Amino acid sequence: MKPANKLRKTVIGLVTAAAVAAGLGILVKIMGAGYFQNILILVGITLIATLGVAVLTGYTGLFTIGHAGFMAVGGYMAALLAKEAQVPFFYAVLGGGVFAGLTSFIIGYPAFRSRLRGDYFAIATLGFAEAIRLILNNVRQIGSITLGGAYGYMDLPTLDGSIWSWLPKGGWGPVIVVMAFALVIFFLTHAFVVSQWGKTCIAVGQDEVAAQMMGVNLMTTKMMALFISALYAGLAGGLMAFYYGYLTPGFFMITRSSDLLAGVVFGGMQSVIGPTITSAVLVAVPEGLRTFAEYRLIVYGLFFVVMMVFRPQGLMGYYRMDFSILGRLWRRREPAKAGGR
Amino acid sequence: MMLVLLQQVINGVSIGAIYSLLAVGYALVYSVYNFTNWAFDGFMAFGAFMGFAAIGSLAMPFWLAMIFSMILTAILSILSEKLAYAPLRVRQAPRLFMMISAMGVNLAVVNTLNKTFSGVMRRFPIPDEWITTYDFGEISIGRMDILAAIIAFVCLALLWWFLFRTRWGLGVRVSSIDIDTAALMGVSNNKVAFIIFFATGVLSSVAGVFFGIKYAVYPLMGGAVTIKAMIASIVGGLGSLPGAVLGSLLLGVLETMVSGYVSSAYRDVFAFALLIILLLFFPNGLMGREKGEKL
Repeated sequence: MKPANKLRKTVIGLVTAAAVAAGLGILVKIMGAGYFQNILILVGITLIATLGVAVLTGYTGLFTIGHAGFMAVGGYMAALLAKEAQVPFFYAVLGGGVFAGLTSFIIGYPAFRSRLRGDYFAIATLGFAEAIRLILNNVRQIGSITLGGAYGYMDLPTLDGSIWSWLPKGGWGPVIVVMAFALVIFFLTHAFVVSQWGKTCIAVGQDEVAAQMMGVNLMTTKMMALFISALYAGLAGGLMAFYYGYLTPGFFMITRSSDLLAGVVFGGMQSVIGPTITSAVLVAVPEGLRTFAEYRLIVYGLFFVVMMVFRPQGLMGYYRMDFSILGRLWRRREPAKAGGR
Repeated sequence: MMLVLLQQVINGVSIGAIYSLLAVGYALVYSVYNFTNWAFDGFMAFGAFMGFAAIGSLAMPFWLAMIFSMILTAILSILSEKLAYAPLRVRQAPRLFMMISAMGVNLAVVNTLNKTFSGVMRRFPIPDEWITTYDFGEISIGRMDILAAIIAFVCLALLWWFLFRTRWGLGVRVSSIDIDTAALMGVSNNKVAFIIFFATGVLSSVAGVFFGIKYAVYPLMGGAVTIKAMIASIVGGLGSLPGAVLGSLLLGVLETMVSGYVSSAYRDVFAFALLIILLLFFPNGLMGREKGEKL
């Protein structure tokens, strides 16, 4: 695409985004704010975790179906920090995320060391998530701390605008906090993906042997991707803890991992914007249509197969993040030209 | 003390026999196609539900219900291969795509069962007088446990006979070494796929029925078992059939030991810990072939 053309598309894309935002604003006015606030918060939380899966599965090619486990670790750690140690909200969430990232080494090191990537690793993540959930289900009490086991860890501090005094009190405060987190993570992920580090991840994802011959250290690259994605999942878990005000192991079932994976598979295996859009849609639609929510997993499953058979690169394929994608939606039927997209 | 230990070992072997059916299924698919068929979870639950329906609604005797369930599960398995894996196999898609596709089959099957039969746990309808125990001195063994172990080992023996004593089995073994060269030598890839997915469908149906008898029949029943069967097949070495059986028996015994002497709540955590420790010291599993990622 020629630069001028691209600029025009970008402008049109930005206008489209603004129009969508304005339309959403009107919908909020009509349907009541509380409902949209909930959806926006859930979208933000899911988005953070999904981007983690995008880095690991989409870019580095390591299949994970256990990211709910990292969410659980991050969530419980953040909750513990905030409730038992009175750590401020922001640092508690960050601490939970980093802790989740560190626990990822427990499965990362043995799985990567054995050189067989896909299956071993996927099962290790799945087993890790289930083990974490089982432990949380059975631990009622650690010393003087009541974790509650299957009943859940109750009475956590909540995200109610009282975190930073300048945030609007009430409904929109948490939305702004979560969205700010999501935006920062989104741009960080984008920066990571286009950086040298991101490129090594992509190289490993495409062909391990070729990457190794180019001097890429497989172990550190995979560990880095795993750390980042576990960190994101942990941050999402922490935000979840402070949004709901309680945590139960039931939040972190296998279905949650499947939902995250669905966002990446549908959105595009090597794309940041694709999973962003699809994870927003995948959260918002089941929330809006309860009848769809019941059939959601059947549809996801069939879609997984259809996608892999007909369009394995995902809906957005390999698109980089920029707004010209939205602009291209308005593309008129142009005469086909040779070369270039 | 010794008697309790012996009792635990026997219980462990009977659970391990059920795991081994699934673990061998994983190993069989992996040895030829180099991907883990995540859909066994759904196939197993499907098999159990078909057996359940055959006895409950169609009033079949137990043996007929088992055959009914085996055939339907095998059909489902072959159908999934044709629709979800064959297109990828033909264009030699990356393994990641095969795994995601299998994951999709699993999600669809499990959740369709969940919608049609609802998620409640059901007792598998076998005659009450079947649920007895045989007592040998102070050791008692459940009749269904013995039956499960016997049928599992008969299935495995049949599979072994098929793989090592028939021409078609030879085709499968040759394909597991190099599927493209095998095809050049006149081994039909489609026939091999048919055989493998038929066999694994039957195995998962048997596992589903006996697991349903031992615990309960519900759509999500496959989840925990198949994870453990996968762990067992990794412990034995991915793609190795005797390894899968060995791994399953080890895991079954370990599990009953842990639930007998430590805590039944943490049984599955130990299974997972075994996997991690084993990967650290035996990266290829106990009986796996010494090789890295296939190119």
